[in-house]
Amino acid sequence: MPWPIYLAFKQLFPSGRRVPFFTLISVLGVALGVALMLVTMSVMGGFGHQIKKMIIDTQGEVQVRARVLLDQPAAATVEKALAASPAVEAYAPYATGMVMLEYQSRPAFPAVQGFNYEQMKKVVPLGQYLTAGSLDNLDDDSVILSSVLASTLGVRMGDTVSLYSPLALERAKRNELLLPREVLVAGIFHVGHQQLDSSTVLCSLRLMQDLYGLEQRVHGYNVRLKPGADEHAAAAALNQNLPAGTRALTWFEANADFQAVLSFERNMIFFLLTFIIVVAAFSITSSLLVTVVRKTREIGLLGAMGGRARHVAACFCVQGLFIGLAGTALGLALGFALLHFRDDLVGFIARMTMGREAFVKFYQFSALPAHTAPKDVALIIIFSVLASTIAGLIPAWRAARLQPVEALRSE
Amino acid sequence: MSALQPSSFSVLRARGIAKTYPSGDRTLAVLTGVDFALAAGETVSVRGESGSGKSTLLNILAGLDRPDRGELFWGTEAAHDLSLGELTARRSRFLGMVFQSYYLIPELDAFANVLLGARMLGGVGAAERARATALLRRVGLAERGHHLPAQLSGGERQRVAVARALMNRPAVILADEPTGNLDERTGDEVIGLLLEVCAEEKAALVLVTHNPAHAKKTSRQLVLKNGQMGYG
Repeated sequence: MPWPIYLAFKQLFPSGRRVPFFTLISVLGVALGVALMLVTMSVMGGFGHQIKKMIIDTQGEVQVRARVLLDQPAAATVEKALAASPAVEAYAPYATGMVMLEYQSRPAFPAVQGFNYEQMKKVVPLGQYLTAGSLDNLDDDSVILSSVLASTLGVRMGDTVSLYSPLALERAKRNELLLPREVLVAGIFHVGHQQLDSSTVLCSLRLMQDLYGLEQRVHGYNVRLKPGADEHAAAAALNQNLPAGTRALTWFEANADFQAVLSFERNMIFFLLTFIIVVAAFSITSSLLVTVVRKTREIGLLGAMGGRARHVAACFCVQGLFIGLAGTALGLALGFALLHFRDDLVGFIARMTMGREAFVKFYQFSALPAHTAPKDVALIIIFSVLASTIAGLIPAWRAARLQPVEALRSE
Repeated sequence: MSALQPSSFSVLRARGIAKTYPSGDRTLAVLTGVDFALAAGETVSVRGESGSGKSTLLNILAGLDRPDRGELFWGTEAAHDLSLGELTARRSRFLGMVFQSYYLIPELDAFANVLLGARMLGGVGAAERARATALLRRVGLAERGHHLPAQLSGGERQRVAVARALMNRPAVILADEPTGNLDERTGDEVIGLLLEVCAEEKAALVLVTHNPAHAKKTSRQLVLKNGQMGYG
């Protein structure tokens, strides 16, 4: 082992002695920064991953959307293009809109999604999100409510609710009265996302078409791709064959604004958290500078023994590198441990502060998701080790500038 | 052989060494043309009052400092023509140094301190380990090899420093008041040991000391006075 590395290691972790306080503090500083970055980026990644899963589970990987509405001939063209695509596994038409739902004089204004269940069950696994009832019971006179909507209105399985369509307003203008549609609650679902769970109604495509007077027209298609198919390539290929006025969008494009906000938040948080490691790097610089001053005569001795200036510099640079490596390794271990026990920790914090319900309501997820991307881990490792090594450069430069004769003479 | 008449057989030669230091708005002439020669295996003491330039001369002989003028030869090589970097590269093989304050690396145990010189030359193998062990045994610290400097007495630390200086089999040992921090009895023991091991290793010794008794133990006694070298 080259002597600068040997000496650097010995100065940081002397044999037979306790690890110097400055080494501990420096390593801990880097470790805390790394752990915080890892946990934050993983939780942010978890939110993104969860949202992606929920979007795909409720919409499919690709959506074909019509600019206005797809009538039967246009729908047939779209279906022909979808059937011809080698990447498409299944597809289902949908119609969507808003209604007023009333139960025992209590109104709500949920979003409604109408679909053909026989086709839809091949596209999205809605059944796995049902907490009561069954999709098999869904017919043109029944609906499935989201969990929070049902509990807010006090609706239970088997109750009857009234649906008021916007079509009633159009009829009212013509002095016609459109009575609300009385439907049975055939099931309750819970996805785990507060926005979807709070105010969504699922119904058959025919019921939705009746409520909005769409006749046979639909708003678009949800598309499930074959396993391993690239969604961007599949959407691009579909767009070559779709009729005018329709467009295939990946789940990412269909929620581009939301994804852009998530991505921006993630990048900003990463940027801000890097300052923790920068501060830790300053602490390394300051500690090593103190060491250079404290060890001035030893540095002089190394010169007197034949140590070159660049080797003396390397000794301090390597100390920064060692601190970076040790701090990063410790930080990763701490970060992964925190991620492993995150639900216990969050539960504890929630109990101590706002309460679990408030937490779920505010953060929209019932459990703290986490998804650690290898790219994020690599980025954190590179950044922290690089920052720590650079932190050692200033003390190294100062040590290298010391003339042995001056250093040996110093008091 | 004379200090004033350098010989071509000398292992270390200096001719006309002069060194000045700025002192306020004046210039202080510390060395004003020192001639010095050291034969292989010879022991020479240099005495002088505080501030007479003994340590300055030693630093110049070690290539740690540059004279304002004069010539320095390490063996047959003109050291005065070498850059400080080149001198540094050659120093570890050519000479060993012993200081008043020992300057052991506190994080390394006695064995590792002795071995450090060999490590700085590029590698530590079984032969180097055996030599470090032998040197520690020779200076009476065979059982203290794994003790840190803080666990050793002053005399023991200086013995480790002596072993370290000899590790790379240098031709010359430069000792700058090696007993300055030791009591009289320990100092006598260290000087005795230093002279013995230098003789065994066939290393020449330049001993800077204030102690006339220690100086008398060397084969030649020189005195530095008014920037000039003379016989003691």
